[in-house]
This record gives sequence, C-alpha cells and structure tokens, in this order.
Amino acid sequence: MAARGSCPGCGSAALVEDAHYAQQQLVCAACGCVLAEGLLTTTYADEEHLREVAYSQSTGQKEQLSRCLQRGIRRVQDLCKVLQLPTVFEETAVSYFQRALQHTAFHLVSLEKKELLGGCCVFVTCRQHNWPLTMGTICSLLYAKQELFASVYLSLQKELGLSVPALSLADLVKTHLNSFRLFQHAADVPAPFVEDKEKMVTRTMQIVELASETWLVTGRHPVPIVTAAAFLSWQSLQPAARLTCTFARFCKLAGVDLPPPAHLRLKELLEILLRMASQLAWLRVFNMDKKTVVKHIGDLLQHRIFLLKNAFCLEDEEEQQRAAAPGEGSAGPPPVAGAAAQEEGCPSEGKRQREGGPRPLLPPCLINPRKRLRTAAPSASDSAITGDEPISDSEIKQYLRGPEEIRAFRKAKAWP
Amino acid sequence: MDQNNSLPPYAQGLASPQGAMTPGIPIFSPMMPYGTGLTPQPVQSTNSLSILEEQQRQQQQQQAVQQSTSQQATQGTSGQTPQLFHSQTLTTAPLPGTTPLYPSPMTPMTPITPATPASESSGIVPQLQNIVSTVNLGCKLDLKTIALRARNAEYNPKRFAAVIMRIREPRTTALIFSSGKMVCTGAKSEEQSRLAARKYARVVQKLGFPAKFLDFKIQNMVGSCDVKFPIRLEGLVLTHQQFSSYEPELFPGLIYRMIKPRIVLLIFVSGKVVLTGAKVRAEIYEAFENIYPILKGFRKTT
Repeated sequence: MAARGSCPGCGSAALVEDAHYAQQQLVCAACGCVLAEGLLTTTYADEEHLREVAYSQSTGQKEQLSRCLQRGIRRVQDLCKVLQLPTVFEETAVSYFQRALQHTAFHLVSLEKKELLGGCCVFVTCRQHNWPLTMGTICSLLYAKQELFASVYLSLQKELGLSVPALSLADLVKTHLNSFRLFQHAADVPAPFVEDKEKMVTRTMQIVELASETWLVTGRHPVPIVTAAAFLSWQSLQPAARLTCTFARFCKLAGVDLPPPAHLRLKELLEILLRMASQLAWLRVFNMDKKTVVKHIGDLLQHRIFLLKNAFCLEDEEEQQRAAAPGEGSAGPPPVAGAAAQEEGCPSEGKRQREGGPRPLLPPCLINPRKRLRTAAPSASDSAITGDEPISDSEIKQYLRGPEEIRAFRKAKAWP
Repeated sequence: MDQNNSLPPYAQGLASPQGAMTPGIPIFSPMMPYGTGLTPQPVQSTNSLSILEEQQRQQQQQQAVQQSTSQQATQGTSGQTPQLFHSQTLTTAPLPGTTPLYPSPMTPMTPITPATPASESSGIVPQLQNIVSTVNLGCKLDLKTIALRARNAEYNPKRFAAVIMRIREPRTTALIFSSGKMVCTGAKSEEQSRLAARKYARVVQKLGFPAKFLDFKIQNMVGSCDVKFPIRLEGLVLTHQQFSSYEPELFPGLIYRMIKPRIVLLIFVSGKVVLTGAKVRAEIYEAFENIYPILKGFRKTT
C-alpha cells in the first residue's frame, strides 16, 4: 500500500506500510528507512484515508454495553448472516436478546444458555415473520441439545410474553426442497433422477395438504412428512425409472438427512393413497399395492376431494356403514348398538372395516391405539375415604424393621 | 395480534395456501353460548366471566321473558296472541322484577358458582390422576436413621437430599426432608392424600421422632379426560393464539394456559385432555367446562 509523503533519507516517494511482527511501521521501499512505527489509527486518520467510520466506533456506543451482551449480540448477528436473513430480522432479534438478557430469569444463566438464548431470539423473529426456520436447523448451527433449546425457548416465550405463530407448512416445503440437489445435472445423479423444481414443489405441496387433511400432520414433527412427501412426488413424476430407488438412496442423492420417522410417514401416506385408489373407478380393476399406486398419484391428487369423501366416512355416518357392512343375512343390525359403539370407539370400527368399506377419518393414534393400562375409576370404597380415619398400628408396623433385621443390615452395609 | 374482535391479521397475510390448514373450520365456534349482539371473544376477555356463568345469565334472561309473557297472558287482555306479548316485552322498558334482556357485556358481574350445571354441560367429568401435597412434621429428622430402620425407605444422599418412602395403601410416594417437611405424591383424591400423609407421619413417629401434622396443604392436582373426537390443533392455535402454544417439533400436544381459572391444559390430537395446576377440584371441572365448547368448534372440519 502506498502512503503519502517522501522518505527523509533518500527522498523517494515509495513509502509502504509494513508490519514488523505486531507493530505497524511506515518504511521506505527504496532504502529501508523506518519513518514511523506504532501509529495509533485514529478516526481522523481513517477519515483522512477516506475510510468510513462506523457510528458505533466514533461514539463509543459499544463500550457502554457489557462484554457478555456485546458477545451475544455479535453471535446473533453472525447467525442472521449465516442464515441469510433480511436486515430487519437482525435488528428485531438483537432487540429481543437485549430485552431478554435484562430479565432476572436470564441474567444469571450459564454461558451455554445465553448462547442458546441468542439462537432462540433469531428463531422467534423468523417465526413471527413467517420465515420457515426449524428448531433442528438452529440447534445444529449452535451445536445445542434439543431439550436445552426447548426449555430456553419456552421460558423466553413465557418471560417476554411473545406470541409466536405456528410454522407454515407451505413455506417449509419450499425451503426444504431448496436444499435438495436433484434439480441440476451432477456427476453422481443419474440422468433420469433429475427433476424440474417447480413441478416437484407443486406436487409435494399437494401431498402435504392431503396429509394434513387426513390427520397425518397434527402433533407430528413437520420435516419427516415433507421429506416423505417429496420422495413420493419425485417417484410419481417419472415412475418408470424411479420406482426401484429406495427412500434412503433418494435422500443420499438429494443430499438431505433421512429422519427416522419418515419411513412411518411414508407408510401412512401410502395407506391413505391406497384407500383413495380403491374408490377411483378406473383403478378398481387393478390390484393396487404400495408400489403400483405411486404411478397414479397424479390422478389421485387431481380428484382428491371426491375420493376423500368416498374413501373415509365421517363419524356420524358410521352407523349406516355398519348397517350396510357385512350383514350376512342378518336383517336388522341394531342401530342402537351402532350408536352405542360409536361413542366408544372408532378404533374398533376401524379394525373391523379396514378390509372392506370406508374407515373413519381419524388420526393414526386413534386408529391404532396402543394397549394401555386403564386405571380403574375410583371405586365406591375409595370414594368413602374421609382422610381422617384411624390408622392401625399393625399397618404401620409392617413398614418398620425389627431389631435383628437392623443388626443384620448394619453389618451388611457397614452403616457409618 | 392483540385484537380479539377480528380475524388475527397475520392469518390473512399467511403465505400458506388455504388448503394447508383446514379451510372449512368455523373460526368462531357457533356453539359458544354468547348472547346475540355480542362479538365472539376468547374465553378470558369477558371480564372474568366463565362460560358457565354466561349460560346461567342467559337462562335467567329466558326465564324472565317467559315469566313476563305468561303473566301478561293470564291478565286476560283479549284478542292478543302470545307472540305480540313477547314482542311487546321486547320493545318496552324492562318490566319490574325482570332482569334486562341484553345486559352490556362490560358490566362486571361478581362471579357466581352455579349450583346446578348449565344446560349445555359436556357430560364428561375429568378424572383426577395425581395429587401433590405438603405437610410439616415439625421437627428435625435424621434421614440415615429413617433409612436404616424403615423397610419402605430409600436414601441416596449423593443423588437427592431426601428419603423416598412408599406405602401400599393408598399407593403413594413421599419425599421426607431433614428439615421435617414432607411432600406426598401419587394419591387420586384429596382425602386419600391426607390419609397417606398421616400414615407417613405415623411411620416417622414410630421411628422415634416427635412428628406432628402441621399445615397440610394440597399444592397441585392433575386431571385427565377424553372428549372422544379428534381435534385440529393447528386451527386451535390460530384462533386462541394468546393462550396456546403448539410446537409439533417439541411436543405433540398443544399447551393451553387458561387465565380463569389458572390452569394449564395439554390438548392432544386424539381428543385426550390433561388439566394441571389446580389447587381445588372445582378448578379442574370449571376449566374443562370452559374448554369443551372451544374444542367442539374444531370437531367437524372435513
């Protein structure tokens, strides 16, 4: 870098700013004479050299904040830059962070938690602007444990009273598919596997909507559903070449992680599609199974409203379904029994009807209830307890050790 | 996002297509028993009135109207049909002895606990699952002695600074601290909790300590029930955003923090509801009666 002035020794104008170890020095390039060393760069010097001086530097604004706060703010800003968020998000996140750190609940937490706090503020800002950022992404960026992040996030929400809108699935689909590497030709991706992005996004969106209408989305982590839907839509766009590709291989080619629940979501989606296919007139002749139904996903999605109505009955119509269902000559299936059973459980209905006609449209946890120990309702004798009954000595004695037992125990445990 | 009266603004600006979240849900439940002319609002903004009290008020109004029409009919003004009487009572000033037909929603009413359940109660009673209570035994305790001389005690000072004692009837667990304070958990009713705490105190007494039974207090009650229909949690968090927290990435249920009474409800897609944070049984029942009409509004969505 050429600086102004001339060398007092040889008079040449070739002055260079060079550093000798850590010290800045102004040296003549011709004769090596050191003109100045250890120059303190002041804002005046910066301005002389036509360099912009930041407001925070010239007013000492940063020095008023504590070092911990400064570090945290810088971390939040770095996170926003890594995630390529608009500048407005950065300011909001920083303001949340400052507010949070002043709160008694967060003032004295460990440094690890303070870092997570910064991540939570960024997360909340993104959610409030409907920017689809998942917790998994933030946790991986911060190398944080999910449970710790969850607890910090919930306490932040409570302390600052923030209202965080729900994650919008459509935006998540678009963002997640952005990270897939199947939209351009690459060395490791065979030609028939490359797909057009727009078509895949539209179809994945439709499958995700179908999943949310059939109760596959409520209460579940959204990312595995989006991954499974992406796989199905990709397969269905060119079934001939792609049916042989497994889910795991697809994720490896696309460059995304395969979350463990995604296999189950895929199975559930295929089951729904199979039910819908059984209602489509020109498909009923075929014996559909999990592989072949993929070829017809396009048709199924096109007529999904009609098919859903026919393939799944609402709870009210169950009585009529039961009456119409395998009657085997019995003339009057008691509608009373139907009505009574309706209250009790669609799970039993679902099991009986799964082979034949429509099943009720219910979340999977109700269709396949896990066997659970039912605690008996409080019996009459229990409810007669007043709390002030006399307590018999014999009952208490059973809980106390006898003297020999104590001696034996003491010897065995070498009780101090 | 503080407006209660209109559709939350961000719902209109959502980029997601209508189909992603169920399109057909009625945003404000038609089952909500508000009088005509009142804008539907979430539960706790009606000036500390609960749904039960609203229903009772409406019942009183209806009774008053019926009373006045029957009075007029028996007075024998000829030729006039009961409908006319009814319309007359609507247009005239409030008759003496009857409550005004449409009281303003903002007049604060002292909350009355209704003696009889309102006409539209759910018919489901939450079952109590766990009661946590504390009691002060009133003397310092030597935990090592207790652990040595009692069969049903476990004590691991490196892990936790209290003795964990269990009894079989009622099936409960107690944490006994060296200061003499005790926490009793696992009972299914208030009386059972009190009986269990007394039994623990008696055990400690028999071990040689001058244990008393001071300040018995129920700290928390947990109840659960099943509304028997699946619930659209995404819809519920949209309409009751101020009280709900639904993060499927963290927990499959929706956490609803009710303000009056101060109860936290965990609502799951299967229709099961867990209510916690109550100090008395009535709070759990009231909270469930408050949430049931809200949940019914999210029942038929497809």
